[in-house]
Amino acid sequence: MSRALLSIACHEYAVAGILYLAFLVRQWKPLAVTARILIGSGLAVHAVALGSALAGQGGMPVGLSQGLSTVAFLLLAIFFALDLRYRAPVMGAFITPLAVAILIPALLLGSGSTPVPGSLRRPLLPVHISIALLGMAAFAVAAGVALMYLLLERQMKGKHFGVLFSRLPSLKLLDDLNRWLVLWGFVALSITLVTGALFSSATEGVFWHWDAREIATLVAWLIFAALLNARFFAGWRGKRVALLTMAGFCVMLVSFLTSYDPVRHLGVFR
Amino acid sequence: MSELLCLGVSHKTAPLEVRERLAAMPEKQAELLRLAANSVAEAMVVSTCNRVEFYASHGSPEQARSALRSVIASVGGPSFADHLYEHLGDAALIHLFRVAASLDSMVVGEPQILGQVKDALEVAQKAGAARGELARACAAAFASAKRVRSETGIGRAAVSMASAAVELATKIFGSLKGKTVLLVGAGEMGELAGKHLLNSGAGQIAVANRTPERARELAGTVGGVTTEFAEIHSRLIWADLVICSTASPVPLFTKDGVAAVVKARRFRPLFMVDLAVPRDIAPEVNELEGVYAYDVDDIQRVVSDNAGARLAEAAKAEVIVAEEVARFVRARSVRDGTPVLAMLRARAEQIARGELERTLSYLGEGLSEKQRRSVQAMAMAIINKLLHEPTARLRELEAEEDRRRLAGAAAELFGLDPGAPPRAEGAGPEQQAASASAPGGKR
Repeated sequence: MSRALLSIACHEYAVAGILYLAFLVRQWKPLAVTARILIGSGLAVHAVALGSALAGQGGMPVGLSQGLSTVAFLLLAIFFALDLRYRAPVMGAFITPLAVAILIPALLLGSGSTPVPGSLRRPLLPVHISIALLGMAAFAVAAGVALMYLLLERQMKGKHFGVLFSRLPSLKLLDDLNRWLVLWGFVALSITLVTGALFSSATEGVFWHWDAREIATLVAWLIFAALLNARFFAGWRGKRVALLTMAGFCVMLVSFLTSYDPVRHLGVFR
Repeated sequence: MSELLCLGVSHKTAPLEVRERLAAMPEKQAELLRLAANSVAEAMVVSTCNRVEFYASHGSPEQARSALRSVIASVGGPSFADHLYEHLGDAALIHLFRVAASLDSMVVGEPQILGQVKDALEVAQKAGAARGELARACAAAFASAKRVRSETGIGRAAVSMASAAVELATKIFGSLKGKTVLLVGAGEMGELAGKHLLNSGAGQIAVANRTPERARELAGTVGGVTTEFAEIHSRLIWADLVICSTASPVPLFTKDGVAAVVKARRFRPLFMVDLAVPRDIAPEVNELEGVYAYDVDDIQRVVSDNAGARLAEAAKAEVIVAEEVARFVRARSVRDGTPVLAMLRARAEQIARGELERTLSYLGEGLSEKQRRSVQAMAMAIINKLLHEPTARLRELEAEEDRRRLAGAAAELFGLDPGAPPRAEGAGPEQQAASASAPGGKR
């Protein structure tokens, strides 16, 4: 049943994404309003689907399919909140397609998840996974916002104002959102690293394996740590921060996908 | 009989780089004028940030044309010929009227141009280069410009340059609330921009000007502070927005100069608007991180995007200008002793007005205000174009006898009575008086 619900949510998101893209070209308000409603109801259906799937697993997403589904959900939830707060429906044109792209493999992979072995059932695991996915979602939105920043910055510098110009929010707002999202993404990422290490030491006796997943996560952590440091202490902002955010997000993607490497990582996510 | 000739470059024909080379300082303007005045009867040089135009009045347009061209080539180099436009006779007159009324401006309706043309005339008069026909044409153009300003809403468009700057600033800063503004140069355009920014919520404004008195004056009107002209670079650290409008012949802000403060500003975005020609901000400044430098041409690109609303007002203004040109031409005909022409024009206008009234009342509600004005403008334009040739031919005739013969023929042909004063609606008192005192019965 949860799969059918997920499919409904995915379709709603897809239609919303098309509406947002149409809104980008023809700024007709009802398009954005309809898309917003679709996202809202899609999130509700998606929440039910996720909830029913996770309920039987001790409240944590298991397997790549559920991981992707959760990231897509959190991503859109963050966007939905931002849109309600700042009324920036243009962001929808960037973020909704991304969420759909994440959700489609989740649907295709199916929900054939293996139950978590009893030896790994620790209260720390759901926390670890949920926060990791939340951080991933925050960085995904930050990357979308960074892309919008770079597009607008390009037009401001080049002085050739395309269709997007009047639709995009100000550079200031985009930079502020980036700061906020990267900061909270970084907090989530830090917690993920710590809980992961604790969990690992509890189950395997070592904190750190130096595997691809851990290295990628550490590199991402270092990138975002450097970024935040430069932002708060050297006053970095704007374009270079946007570029760094996108670079960090790419490394995060590697980290995310290698977390579901069936050979390694405890087999939990297989 | 002398004909008016206009030769020039403007934002419509030449890029900023070309205009920059010809933009004349006041002292250079006098020099240009002296050069031009040597070979033509009357001359005037209008030089603003968007145009450099030579007006000349001379018996032989060919001679005047080659004289002016050689003057322009001596200042701007031979490549200028590609960008020059030329108007002769009534076309030059119409151009002068449109320029003065700010209809040919980059920002249609901007208020400075009238003062700039007035200044140009004053310079020419002081130099003894504008005595007769040219001065009269200017006076009429000024009157028409004033009418345009008071009878249409075109003046409101003037703020569009400033509002374009505000729009861009909003795109960068989100809100202008609390943003600091540095005005470099206390010219009218800077003042306009400053006031507009203030209305949009800008925080503190600092004014720097070469003459501190003027800086204090402007700081007083916008409620800002003054700052030493020598300190504009250190002021950059403080400012979020910079509006430049000085007459400096070289850029005040170079890439290196601004780069030096980028770090000290902690990469805060800096929006620099250059309303001056020649430019106050070197174009390379725009390459710096977080610095957005816009010159007049860039701003214009934004302005033209939302120009639609102004077209209706501009159409009204075109009608007024057409009427005023017609009135001037009528008065000139009377001065030239060819009342037949004045009457011909008055008759044509009378007919046009009658037909317009009929047509417009027949079409009634079906037409928008803009369309009404366009129809009116078209009618006036037809008259001007149709009568241009006979007018020019009559006036070209040197011999009094020939002129009288032709005028007589025209009067006969159109059934005019040169003894009676022309009956034109809205004919000015000057013209009425002139025609009344004109010797009648030339037939």
